[in-house]
Amino acid sequence: MAGKGGANPATYSPSPTIQKKKAPLFKEDWVRPDGRGFHQCRPAFFRTGAVNAASGSAYAEFGNTKVIVSVFGPRESKKAMMYSDTGRLNCNVSFTTFATPVRGQGSDHKEYTAMLHKALEGAIILESFPKTTVDVFALVLESSGSDLPVVISCASLALADAGIMMYDLVASVSVSCVSKNLVIDPIFEEENYQDGSLMITCMPSRYEITQLTVTGEWSTPKINEGMQLCLDACAKLAKIMRSCLKEAASDSKE
Amino acid sequence: MVGLSLGEQHFIQGGIAQDLRCDGRKRLAYRPISVETGVIPQANGSARVRMGATDVIASVKAELGKPSLLQPNKGKVSIYIDCSSTAEPAFEGRGGDELSAELSTALQRCLLGGKSGAGAGIDLSSLVVIDGKICWDLYIDGLVVFSDGNLLDALGAAIKAALSNTGIPRVHVAAGASSDEKPEIDVSDEEFLQFDTSAVPVIITLTKVGKHYIVDATSEEESQMSSAVSISVNRQRCICGITKRGGAGLDPSIILDMISVAQHVSEQLINKLDSEIASAEAGDDDES
Amino acid sequence: MEYVSPEGLRLDGRRPMEMRQIRAEIGAVSKADGSAVFEMGNTKVIAAVYGPRQVQNKSQQMNDQALVRCEYSMANFSTGDRMRKPKGDRRSTEISLVIRQTMEASILTHLMPHSQIDIFVQVLQADGGTRSACINAATLALADAGIPMRDLVTSCSAGYLNSTPLLDLNYVEDSAGGADVTLGILPKLDKVTLLQMDSKLPIDILENVMQLAIEGCKAVANYIREILLENTKQLEFRRGV
Repeated sequence: MAGKGGANPATYSPSPTIQKKKAPLFKEDWVRPDGRGFHQCRPAFFRTGAVNAASGSAYAEFGNTKVIVSVFGPRESKKAMMYSDTGRLNCNVSFTTFATPVRGQGSDHKEYTAMLHKALEGAIILESFPKTTVDVFALVLESSGSDLPVVISCASLALADAGIMMYDLVASVSVSCVSKNLVIDPIFEEENYQDGSLMITCMPSRYEITQLTVTGEWSTPKINEGMQLCLDACAKLAKIMRSCLKEAASDSKE
Repeated sequence: MVGLSLGEQHFIQGGIAQDLRCDGRKRLAYRPISVETGVIPQANGSARVRMGATDVIASVKAELGKPSLLQPNKGKVSIYIDCSSTAEPAFEGRGGDELSAELSTALQRCLLGGKSGAGAGIDLSSLVVIDGKICWDLYIDGLVVFSDGNLLDALGAAIKAALSNTGIPRVHVAAGASSDEKPEIDVSDEEFLQFDTSAVPVIITLTKVGKHYIVDATSEEESQMSSAVSISVNRQRCICGITKRGGAGLDPSIILDMISVAQHVSEQLINKLDSEIASAEAGDDDES
Repeated sequence: MEYVSPEGLRLDGRRPMEMRQIRAEIGAVSKADGSAVFEMGNTKVIAAVYGPRQVQNKSQQMNDQALVRCEYSMANFSTGDRMRKPKGDRRSTEISLVIRQTMEASILTHLMPHSQIDIFVQVLQADGGTRSACINAATLALADAGIPMRDLVTSCSAGYLNSTPLLDLNYVEDSAGGADVTLGILPKLDKVTLLQMDSKLPIDILENVMQLAIEGCKAVANYIREILLENTKQLEFRRGV
């Protein structure tokens, strides 16, 4: 993450890259703005243990999308809550004020929060911690497309880091449909011009889908193609996540 | 909340496994649907849909507004759902907010299509009055009067019915106004334009109980679900949106199977709904 | 502005002492313990009653009487201009309180200690007189739920515009700024349980206006009684008595 303008003088000068680009044209033979192939994901980087105070945490970086998730608990449920013989999952997704190109409000994202909750609750063995609550707090440091899939994958890694019992790691990938092409792991510009999107959250080793959303118009063969693309990518992503966990475990042994 | 004893739970699950549900329906049969249009005279369009005991009202209001800078040639549509506390005492105060938000986003996802507007049930470009200056803002409000399961399907049907009941006033633009001036417009209160609602998809929720899935689940059946998938399908049998509820994981092949079942069921539902809407509209015209 | 024409007709064509058309229906919400729809002209409200049942919040439980709770909410599409209001704004809190107090006065709460009764009213269309319509709907719903009451509370509004007392104001007349008296009575016991008034009126005129509102309430009471009787007959028929 070196500064981009290393050669520039230390005075203020508006960087030419910030200027608004024209809307990308998605014609017959377009190339993705970052030069990837249509079915190529961004390089994924995971690191556990990003927050010391939390029981578990993870940092994920997919291209320019940067997310940090911390997990607290399991801790005693609030007194006001009724007795429950399964654990409770409490999620929250928020954005930093500087996450988006236009300075945002940095507020909570209710929709993502609900989606994250639904994606994770099926994977966690809630029976293993009755009467208690696990908090999952996700913060999107920089938003640059496919935020929610990154948040979900990162959250499952943080849960694993916290030692919460899960059936499997949860990996999530989305594809966008941009002018007849299916592009995997879309970036912000592509998401803005997409005709439809499909997001899959799955547990790759169990081959189960925990969450699925589709928008836009899709024909049946296209859905099949999109789902297969996502599932393959999820399997690959899970391998990366698993190796990251192994690395962290072997580091701590030494 | 539905409180069911263990025996009742087994009875519901067993019935579904044997393709004979508590109310005598088969797994893929809907409850009787009744549609009433024009229930809210103050709105541009409205409809009340009942599926069994589930009772919802949808209204469409059109207001003149300014198109967003990013999409100057498109109108705006927003969908809000409100869960009335008459439906369930638990919705009192802020109790219904969570469900309202969930239903609103699911409907937006299913009816409004992708970001570029492809696959949307409502043609947004038809809402523009003057490019980049004036457009119609459609506010679709749903109200859950009583909930006995399958709210999403009922709301989707109510919105479809309300849209076909909607008349947007014709707007005359004064000719000769220069481009930077505020254009003069004249909203007609006699001429109304009808919506083309043939592209509006229907939503079909398949609720998985045990090994099987059912359509149009009642709230008792919903309490036994492991997961539910809501699929919106249009007349061309294309998928316009999917949302999944419930935490349990599903095998991808099951989801694909659900999609094909939903496509099959959609045909009957669309035809049923269209005939109900048409008869409701005809009855409405007779009265007025 | 002229609210009463020289011929003695109001904006919507009614006579000053004429009510809007009222219509009621019992059992609109199938699984509630009691429910009703009440329409006064274009004003349309739904009421649902749940209870008597166990008190949910133990700290509110009362050992000598039932706890009555009420929530009033307006649908987003109920008014002419669409607005999105959060639940529980000041106006709805106030109306909830008014309805609760009015209904509490007629319910025999001492017969149902340790229990709670919830009244939910939802305005589908607002065209003046929502308060009255809500109270009438709530009465019907309570009766439908079989909750013991001293009497049927009924309510009606009356106003004073262009030096004429007017019965059952609609939205335009309501927002004209004249006096607006909302009255709730127990018609059989001939007692007033609710009286609210905006702006000012000379005392002798208030008497006239109140008398008019009382007449209105009694007319509503007669109608409600008819509806209930009809409903009971139907129930009787269905049971085959």
